Amino acid sequence: MRVTENTNYGIVRDSIRRSRERMQDLQLQSSTLKKLNTPSDDPIGAAKILEMRTDKFNNNQFQMNSKMAEGFLDNTDHAISDLTELVLRAKEIALNQSSAASSNEDTRQGVAEEAGQLFKQAVMIANRRVGDRYLFGGYKTQSPPVDPEGQYLGDEGEMMVEIGSDVFISMNIPGVDVFNTHPKNLENLENLESLDEAPSDNANLPENVNLFDELQNFRIALLTGSLEGIRSTLERFDQIYDKMVATRAKIGSRIQGLQSTTQAIDRHNLTNASLNSALEDADMAQVVSDLGKEETVFRSSLASSKRLIQPTLLDFLK
Amino acid sequence: MAIPNILNTGKSGMIASKIAIATTGHNITNANTEGFSRQRVQTTTADTGASFENNVIGGGTRLSRVERVNDEYIEKQLRIGQKDLSHYEEKDLVLKQVEDIFNEMNGDGLNRLVSRFFNEFRKLSEESENPAVRQSVREATQAMVNDFHRIRNEVNEVVRHVDSRIEGYTKEANATIGDIAELNRKINVLEVAGGSPNDLLDKRDLALKKLGSLFDISMHRDKNGNFNVDLVGGGPLISSGEVDKLTVERTPANSDGKPDNSFDIKTTGKVPGVITHQVKGGRLGALVEVRDKAISTVLSRLDDLAFSMTQSVNAIHQQGITAGGLTHISYFKPLEEKQRAAEFIGLSDDIQASANNIATAMIANAPGDNRIAIAISKLQNERLMDQGNATVDEWYNSIVSDVGVAAQRNRFALNQQRDIMTQLGKVRDQISGVSIDEETTNLLQYQHAFDASAKVIQVADDMLKTVLALKRD
Repeated sequence: MRVTENTNYGIVRDSIRRSRERMQDLQLQSSTLKKLNTPSDDPIGAAKILEMRTDKFNNNQFQMNSKMAEGFLDNTDHAISDLTELVLRAKEIALNQSSAASSNEDTRQGVAEEAGQLFKQAVMIANRRVGDRYLFGGYKTQSPPVDPEGQYLGDEGEMMVEIGSDVFISMNIPGVDVFNTHPKNLENLENLESLDEAPSDNANLPENVNLFDELQNFRIALLTGSLEGIRSTLERFDQIYDKMVATRAKIGSRIQGLQSTTQAIDRHNLTNASLNSALEDADMAQVVSDLGKEETVFRSSLASSKRLIQPTLLDFLK
Repeated sequence: MAIPNILNTGKSGMIASKIAIATTGHNITNANTEGFSRQRVQTTTADTGASFENNVIGGGTRLSRVERVNDEYIEKQLRIGQKDLSHYEEKDLVLKQVEDIFNEMNGDGLNRLVSRFFNEFRKLSEESENPAVRQSVREATQAMVNDFHRIRNEVNEVVRHVDSRIEGYTKEANATIGDIAELNRKINVLEVAGGSPNDLLDKRDLALKKLGSLFDISMHRDKNGNFNVDLVGGGPLISSGEVDKLTVERTPANSDGKPDNSFDIKTTGKVPGVITHQVKGGRLGALVEVRDKAISTVLSRLDDLAFSMTQSVNAIHQQGITAGGLTHISYFKPLEEKQRAAEFIGLSDDIQASANNIATAMIANAPGDNRIAIAISKLQNERLMDQGNATVDEWYNSIVSDVGVAAQRNRFALNQQRDIMTQLGKVRDQISGVSIDEETTNLLQYQHAFDASAKVIQVADDMLKTVLALKRD
């Protein structure tokens, strides 16, 4: 084989270039701590990383949504709890006033006063806000859902929020569901007539009881001294109480659902983080040891260059 | 057998050695000349021998030819290898630029901004009454729109860069074609005279290699001995001494994926025509391929994305009712067609005018109604792209990964081709390369031969003197 000087120089140039290329790559990895610096380093991994970044981004928003929804639901729960106390108190005085033995004209007047207070208090609680949003208005969050007469002005809107990918929960309970025991009957009465079996069922539908109506009825019964009227409110307060407890249970289970979704997202984030790190992060121990190895290779190729570039015959003919 | 014959024999040896030394010197001085093949002096015995008593006595040496040591097969391999290497190098350069545009491994990019866009709507669905969130939805959208524009502009910038390179290379090709035609003419003259124009042949090989690195060419000799060069698939470049040149011209977009207002390549031949997509291989082929395939695909997919988002978001948003009771409001500026959608995507005038025109509700007077906001945020997981096969995220990520795959695959091929060229270069060097040691040895050898031939003349001279002195006694 003929070996010319140019071949030797070429080999030297080539081996130094290769070595430098590899070192540059390793140096980039060690300075960014990443082995994936451009999509072409690992195109499939790069797409996966982008996907996981989107996941993480979404998850952060889901967690935020969860927190906000949980706050809103907590406040709703407190408000309903306060209403429950209020109903209990109303029932208690109703019980006191329901027998002729413990009730007379004077006490009834005083108690009627308290019943009026309870009514006002109930309206206040029903119009409670978080920030600038009313808790019980349905979609109508910007105006008081209950007027001073106890009329419901809100709607049935349930504000859904996404707390996990495609997992939606309603963050509010529309007041119509809280203040009434059977709100569906209330609003569907006219519509039901048009349905075929509706007329026959109509009679079997349980009667709807409204908190504000009942407090008013109670006060009026007290004022008119109708023991019958007072007694009839007792059972209805019970119905309202039961409905509110059931609603609170519903809120409780929603909050639980929220929390378990949040935990699932936390776990998901953790898994993603470790997968992400496997795809993206350089194994520093590996990089440093490779860099050391490459340095040795580079030095030895420089050293061998000295031997490859030999003197020519000319050097000996002087 | 006359003594003057011996003088001539010595002279022929001196001349042969002188030529050999000159050639050796030529080799040494061109050791680093690109494309140079070492040359060897071939001598043969002189025909002018004398005879003596039926014996033929040799009459010295004679220069038969100066030949170049060159393997045509290797030269062809090198030319093809160089074409592929240039092809991959050129593609690498452009694909790297495209990849950089989409690289968000170490920073922000469209992927993140699209996620942010959807999440802002998610946030809005959570607090649809909050004017601050509305502002931030609009800001996030603007940021996303800006990034669409940025990518579009940067890709267009790459297209312009590619075009300027195409123009440059066609000029280079024309100059090289001219050089080859000129070399052809000179070689012809010398060959007719019977010589071997070694250096010119080397130069033509080099020029062909240069031209071949720009695009696929083929060469053949016609029956009149003309050396012709064709652009494969695009007609003759040099034929019987006639030269065709390449030109570029800006033309509208076409169905082959050529972007609007970018260069078409044409020939000025007898049948002038557009040969943009006949140009294959080499640097020009690489540029056309990247511009009209890779970049065009990326752009049209980006346009698809911008168009689909505009359409889908608008379709939902138009059903919504704003806090002010307005309905049928477009969120994005409505787009007529997909073409250049990524360039024209933008907020509609209504939204630009006021963030309060962002509709979240489906019914009037319901500030807490967030159904529109939710529907828009849900688009993130809907398969809007690729005929219902990919979500917006998947679609964009696949653009990034496709760009990465193209760059990666090309880089592999480039590295492989470099290795092949290194190997071929070594083989060529083994055959045609100049070895200083060898030449130095030859130099000594020829110098000694020169001395010895001179000695022959001296001896013949002495002989003559002896003969002439005979008479004096």
